[in-house]
Amino acid sequence: MSHQVPSDLGYVPPDGGWGWAVVFGASISVGFAYTFPKAFTIYFKELQAVYSISYSQIAWITSIMCATTYGGGPISSILVNRYGSRPVVMFGGLLCGIGMVSAAFCTSILQLYICVGFITGFGLALNLQPSVIIIGKYFLKRRPIANGLAMAGSPVMLCTLAPLNQFLFDNFGWRGSFLILGAILLNCCVAGALFRPIGAAKRSVKNQTTEKGKEAPKEEVTRMSMEMSNPTYAPAETRTEEEEEKDCCEKINQYLDFSLFKHRGFLIYLIGNVLMFLGFFAPIVFLAPYAKHIGIDEYSAAFLLSILAIVDMIARPTTGIIANSKWVRPKIQYFFSFSIAFNGTCHLLCPLASGYTGLVVYSIFFGLAFGMVCAMLFETLMDLVGAARFTSAVGLVTIAECCTILLGPPIGGTLIDTFGDYKYMFIKCGAVMVLAGTFLFIMNYYNYRMLAKEEKERKAKEEDPKIVRTENEGRSNWKKETLQDGPELEPLRDEREGLKTEVNGTNEV
Amino acid sequence: MPGFSGERFVRLLLLSLCLPGGSPADLPMTTQDASQTQGNLLTQMPTGLNESSPEPMMTTRVVNRQTRESVSDHSPVGHSVSTPGPDLTTQDFKQAVEEKASNFTDLVYEVLLSGVSGTPVEKNITLDSPAKVELSCSLANKYPHLKIVQVAWKKGNETIKHINKTENSWSIQLTVTDENELGSYSCTLKGEEEFKAVFHLQVPKIEGKEKPIISYEGDTVVMICKSSNYTPITWTWYLTNGSEQIAINDSLLSDKYVIDRVPANTTHLKILKLTKKDDGAYWCEAVFKLGKSKGKLKLKVLTFLVPLKPFLAILAEVIILVAIVFLYEVYSKKKEKHAEYEKEFEQVEQLKSEESNGVESSSTRHRKV
Repeated sequence: MSHQVPSDLGYVPPDGGWGWAVVFGASISVGFAYTFPKAFTIYFKELQAVYSISYSQIAWITSIMCATTYGGGPISSILVNRYGSRPVVMFGGLLCGIGMVSAAFCTSILQLYICVGFITGFGLALNLQPSVIIIGKYFLKRRPIANGLAMAGSPVMLCTLAPLNQFLFDNFGWRGSFLILGAILLNCCVAGALFRPIGAAKRSVKNQTTEKGKEAPKEEVTRMSMEMSNPTYAPAETRTEEEEEKDCCEKINQYLDFSLFKHRGFLIYLIGNVLMFLGFFAPIVFLAPYAKHIGIDEYSAAFLLSILAIVDMIARPTTGIIANSKWVRPKIQYFFSFSIAFNGTCHLLCPLASGYTGLVVYSIFFGLAFGMVCAMLFETLMDLVGAARFTSAVGLVTIAECCTILLGPPIGGTLIDTFGDYKYMFIKCGAVMVLAGTFLFIMNYYNYRMLAKEEKERKAKEEDPKIVRTENEGRSNWKKETLQDGPELEPLRDEREGLKTEVNGTNEV
Repeated sequence: MPGFSGERFVRLLLLSLCLPGGSPADLPMTTQDASQTQGNLLTQMPTGLNESSPEPMMTTRVVNRQTRESVSDHSPVGHSVSTPGPDLTTQDFKQAVEEKASNFTDLVYEVLLSGVSGTPVEKNITLDSPAKVELSCSLANKYPHLKIVQVAWKKGNETIKHINKTENSWSIQLTVTDENELGSYSCTLKGEEEFKAVFHLQVPKIEGKEKPIISYEGDTVVMICKSSNYTPITWTWYLTNGSEQIAINDSLLSDKYVIDRVPANTTHLKILKLTKKDDGAYWCEAVFKLGKSKGKLKLKVLTFLVPLKPFLAILAEVIILVAIVFLYEVYSKKKEKHAEYEKEFEQVEQLKSEESNGVESSSTRHRKV
């Protein structure tokens, strides 16, 4: 894709202004969604004692939470497509709060599964996806930076949530902590309030009404002229028939764009990422146990994770800035594949690290690679499918990733238990990620070439004097697939369609 | 994840505490670490009564590099015990073992004294079951020239007479069967300079929790005590009433307290239906053959009003912030609309004037899109 990414939103995103407030809100939401399950593990010991259950039973809570957060993606997408980001995030925050407050009064582990696992998990899902989606609506030119900053919320939140949880637990016990955490999660509602709906709709409402008034008579004139020029009335009829058919599919696609599965870039991203997540989270989960295994004491092992988080925190916005530069942005997919492969290489080299200094070096590089991948995770998807269809894309991608994300650490754990050695787990993670990185690299090379070819064809067609197009037309025809716009853009879409029928009666898009 | 429990196995522990002195490999010693005692321990701590243990209740299972089978008699447990006839060589000491009725382990602890005189070297030795202990103080090979004129072994202020002397070390042998024999033993080597070492023989310490356990009225709380390396015979829980400690009888108050003593080296005290009165200090006591050891736990019982205050505060903060955001949005929209109205007004004026001049200026409006 060229640097001047044509915006298929139908309007020019502000790339600043209120957008930065949106980024701030998004970083809060994203931070909670990613770090809450991790920070929750502090309560495990106490809950184990109170309910007399084993560790694996209590660990189900976070597994259910993660699974619901990622699995709730499509539902999130549907809701955002229908209602926009803001109400969904605010509802999500409310749901999280309710979940945790009711968890404070639970009397059995099953109730905890439901309250903390499902309800809070689903609330976090309603937080995560819309936050990422709305960044694409507010930013275009500076989107990688915005994405990097928003994703940086995750390590920042981790550094604050973990000690906060410990403090709450020491002072209020687990029930009181859940109550207060419920209130803290309500802050996602504040983040959601910042997500002002955007679209040229807001500004052009006034213009649109006046313009439509002007164009309505024009439309009728052209239609009448077409009717007269065409002896049969067929074109109009076929048009209505086609419209009817499309309405059915369009309706489904309006909520969740399944036509994305025909999109080449989307499929590449999906396969590559699903593969990558198999080895993504396991090393973090096992870093501290591995450190203890080779003889490092508990505090130093925990410090390794802190180093990771700090490097991660710095790496994410930095990667955003780098990805935004004019050298990288056009070929951002390569940068993404490179960072995945870099991540994989870190893991492959980890078994060679001996002693504490070796592990510190590994943590630094791992933090860097982890931050790079996370910062560009959603940016690359936006880059491939465009911001308008990103809403559905993110939902479909997260539910597919859900399986491998959940499988990754247990597979790693099984490897460790079978061989009694951590190095096989690192090798497996590293190999999977290097494979994913290489796959993405090759496929994106192919994709870029195909896109360049299509661009050439489009330019050739443009020279064709037969079909007159407006600027909007050119953009919407470029992808040759239905565009999905959020409700904030509906008025705009009607306007565009009005223009289409006016200028180009027979050409269906 | 593989549980790395190397500590469970007995290993050769080197106790050379000398700094610049001799190499640690000079005199290897063995110490018993983590003897796992299992089985139903019916006897209380040895109080000197001639209680004959009917059955081999205690099997000390110890995994070790050098095990020695001891053939021992079925002698009554008490003060007079027949020892399994160990050959105590200064060089290497083995340990016990699989035994029948004699529950003795042989332990040797040695301290290598370095040239630092003045501050005594201290050593803590943990014993949970009766043992034969040899304590020895020796000089590092580096200082053969120092003539030791007088060696004194003392327990407290009491001097111990029988001292075994070898070339560079002086040792005493103790048979520890009950808590009277625990305590601090010191050896003093007087010559040109004075060297002192102190051995503290004690029962295993039970660690309580520093931070209080927080729970709420009407709720259930579980308090846990662990003794990781040494398994006690039994556990007892005490609650504090004023300045006294009262034992908790869980069979009597079974709907209030539930005590779980399985597995033997962990104990759980579950307190149901908490009230404010349950607030305070609790003690878990582990009973070993050689004595008792207590760990302290603190329980705090709160009402739900306590976390409710921060909850309401944060809730208020959230509502205020959301309100601010929405109000700001309404305000800025109003401003925009106002500005747009003004612009429209201006444009209409402009159009009017331009139309009157016959100039089409609709292009400006299109550009707005």
